[in-house]
Amino acid sequence: MRIKLNSIFVDNQDKALRFYTEVLGFKKSKEIPVGEFRWLTLVSPHGHADVELSLEPNANPASKTFQDELFRQGIPITAFEVDDIHAEHARLKKHGVAFTMEPTEAGEVTVAIFADTCGNLIQLYQPKP
Amino acid sequence: MLTHDALIRLCRARDRLRETEGRAPIAAIAREAGLSPYHFIRQFAAVFGATPHQYRIDARIERAKHLLARGNHSVTDVCFEVGFESLGSFSDLFARRVGVPPSQYRRRWQVPSRVGTLPPALIPGCLLLMCGEAASAIFKKH
Repeated sequence: MRIKLNSIFVDNQDKALRFYTEVLGFKKSKEIPVGEFRWLTLVSPHGHADVELSLEPNANPASKTFQDELFRQGIPITAFEVDDIHAEHARLKKHGVAFTMEPTEAGEVTVAIFADTCGNLIQLYQPKP
Repeated sequence: MLTHDALIRLCRARDRLRETEGRAPIAAIAREAGLSPYHFIRQFAAVFGATPHQYRIDARIERAKHLLARGNHSVTDVCFEVGFESLGSFSDLFARRVGVPPSQYRRRWQVPSRVGTLPPALIPGCLLLMCGEAASAIFKKH
């Protein structure tokens, strides 16, 4: 048994694909039509090539409610590790990304939180050396 | 940086834009959020990936898709139910956003879909779970 897939809900798969590839810098891995949606996954060029992030449609009202409530409470839906959080923060700001937390030291990590334009907050963290 | 209060105000604005009853002007929703229309539009787009106007239209189209897929409503009923005032502009807009007119979209759910051509191993269970009623209806046909 191993962890190879993480998934997040997005309010629009096209918009999500654009943001996650063009702004965050992930690469599309799989795109398989399933009805009016797609099985859509990404990999990180700087991470493990076989660990994928699935961008799932939030078409079910239950997933919308879940997503909305986490967002409203300021809770990130998932977290991505970065090598230099200050550089990433500056780079994303240039793309117009809205942060709800600037890089902040929190014990063993420095964290920051931004909105992914698809209904989620995402945390970035940089572990201390 | 967006404070938590600012985030909450934007969430409230988003709820207002999802309402199908009435149609508060964007300037009024900006005022409720405590922002000038210019800053409201800018902040909203940075956080939710669409201007308030686009977001409202997208929300109406999404709701229309949901109602059409259930098949219990006529296109005209759906048009008025989601807050459009003219059938013509609803159909045009729907066709531009979704790729097919609402009548065809409604029919699409009544025939077996391409899903059945996928090898069973590739039909993701989680997608089934997330697509709700409409998707389960399709998968049942196979």
